[in-house]
Amino acid sequence: MASLAAPAGTLRPRFPNISLKRLGDALAHGYVWVWLVIFALPFLATLAYSLRTADGVWTLSAYQYVLGSFKENLLLSLQTTVLTIIINLIIAIPAAYAIVRHPLPGKSFILSALNLSLYTPAAVMGVSLVIAYAFLFRIPQTMIGLIAAYVVGTFPLMLVPVIVALRDLPLVFEEAARTLGATRMQTFWRVEIPLLGPGISAGILLTFVIIFNEFLVTLFIAGPSTTTAALRVYNLTRTAGFQPSTAALATTMQLISFVVVLLFFRLFGSRYLKGTYLI
Amino acid sequence: MTRVQLLDVTKRYGSTLAVDNVSADISDGEFVTLLGPSGCGKTTTLRMVAGLVDLTAGQIKFDGQVINNVPPHRRNIGLAFQSHALFPHLSVARNIAFGLEVKGTSKQEIQHRVAEMLDMIELSQHAERMPAQLSGGQQQRVALARMLATDPRVLLFDEPLSALDRNLRDTLKYSILDLQRRTGKTAIYVTHDQSEAFAISDRIFVMNEGRIEQTGTQLDIYLRPRTEFVAGFVGDNNAIRGEVVGVVGGAPGEPGLVDVRAGGMRLRGLDPGNVRVGDKVLAFVRPENIEVILDGEPAEEPNLVRGRIDQIVFEGPTVRLIVDAGGVPIRATSGGIGRLSLLAQEQRNVVLRLQEITVVRDDPAIAA
Repeated sequence: MASLAAPAGTLRPRFPNISLKRLGDALAHGYVWVWLVIFALPFLATLAYSLRTADGVWTLSAYQYVLGSFKENLLLSLQTTVLTIIINLIIAIPAAYAIVRHPLPGKSFILSALNLSLYTPAAVMGVSLVIAYAFLFRIPQTMIGLIAAYVVGTFPLMLVPVIVALRDLPLVFEEAARTLGATRMQTFWRVEIPLLGPGISAGILLTFVIIFNEFLVTLFIAGPSTTTAALRVYNLTRTAGFQPSTAALATTMQLISFVVVLLFFRLFGSRYLKGTYLI
Repeated sequence: MTRVQLLDVTKRYGSTLAVDNVSADISDGEFVTLLGPSGCGKTTTLRMVAGLVDLTAGQIKFDGQVINNVPPHRRNIGLAFQSHALFPHLSVARNIAFGLEVKGTSKQEIQHRVAEMLDMIELSQHAERMPAQLSGGQQQRVALARMLATDPRVLLFDEPLSALDRNLRDTLKYSILDLQRRTGKTAIYVTHDQSEAFAISDRIFVMNEGRIEQTGTQLDIYLRPRTEFVAGFVGDNNAIRGEVVGVVGGAPGEPGLVDVRAGGMRLRGLDPGNVRVGDKVLAFVRPENIEVILDGEPAEEPNLVRGRIDQIVFEGPTVRLIVDAGGVPIRATSGGIGRLSLLAQEQRNVVLRLQEITVVRDDPAIAA
């Protein structure tokens, strides 16, 4: 053993490279953490504000409003988000099949056109929707109007990950299922949908994050009966100044978004979010 | 159980003719191989039988019934893919059960059948594993079990072994043959590997450029190639251009012989039946069927050819030579202990004894 240890000792370099590398790692980590804390500061400030009364007492009492008078707004936000996601799915999955699996003339043009709403300034979209709703469809200030606006604004976010997932899915699985006796529908539900799962979930996540927190377009088209949580935060701040209860609502919204994103990364990783603005 | 017939089957993609008027009659229980280089149309033909590709023209029949318009899920076939194509989100057992589940088989029967299949492929202990946790050979065995679970009438194989390493290929090809023999099902196997085709087929269809070049048993294909393509694709062959100088009738019931003059050589080979004196022909002889005689006396009998050794390569079990026979390079392979005497004999004059010569018409129309 001694004879083995001796050459190992002679090989040790004069400057310990290992600790230099560790120092570099520590600096890199520290750098990242500093920025993370800076980014998280507004959230931490809001959180602290929501936990203190004007007299400087720490309490959770502001959160009673979240389940009280703000419950309606949060529920409306969740409701519109879920319905929009469902409609997005119904539009995006067949659209992705058409784009990936069928030769379409002008495919790249169609794709750019479909993504147009992502590049449209929200204020422009808001104004356009107000005009369209008021003069064309007669659905101003309703939940249907809200959902329709969200679908127009976000279905490309659903479409892109589904297209990526479908492009990655080899045809051979469908063919195997078909030769084993599965009908088109059985193949779709038993093989394709599960294998497209991560892509579809990525689309759901993107839609969720955007719509649940959507504010600017909502500001244009929401009415008294359709005040979402984000809009309520804005209204309260404008009318009542900064209240701990408003901060509590804002903190709750932030936590819901945060938990949804964490859950997604836990379940599916980040593969199908590549090329979207989240990664 | 099922006779498979292809009648003038044609597939055209745009202006490319992928499969050109292919006809075949495969009897019940027969193991047929479509052999050819990549792009020869063999896979497209198989996929048309499976129903995954539509025909441009022609008919495919199972037991006399035209199935052109029957969708793949109602053809009751089993298809083995090049990649095993196991569903990555389902366990081994669920993969095997898939075909039974979609057909609405009772739970009890599915369990029984899956257990039976797992037992057959000797993977019972891996029933709950996911495909990604298995080795390549195990995956392909599960794929075979999955395809047999539904008791299909025809087995189709699309180069199922080409992604595996050589040892595994050898074992699995005999497993496939064994399964087919035990079940007695009609099988169509696609491969570009001739040793695979020779090992397992009852009959081989050699395909090239969308057409069937030759159909026959292993011996027919190997010993009596009927076109230049088959002669060159199956094994190695010297192709010597010449002219028919005589037709010798064979004994009753046996093929006759023809004499061919090629440069200074006189060759006697099997009569293809469609040549006359004066016709241009190709004579084929395999390198392993050429005997190299170091101190041979030039003799005036046919198939003895004088030449000079140009090149010698020692390959271990064999020695490869290129012999210049009056301007025609002839490749010869020598095995056995005698091969050692050939080493370091470059430029030496030798006599070659050519055996098992086949002759085909040198038809430029076919060659082109």
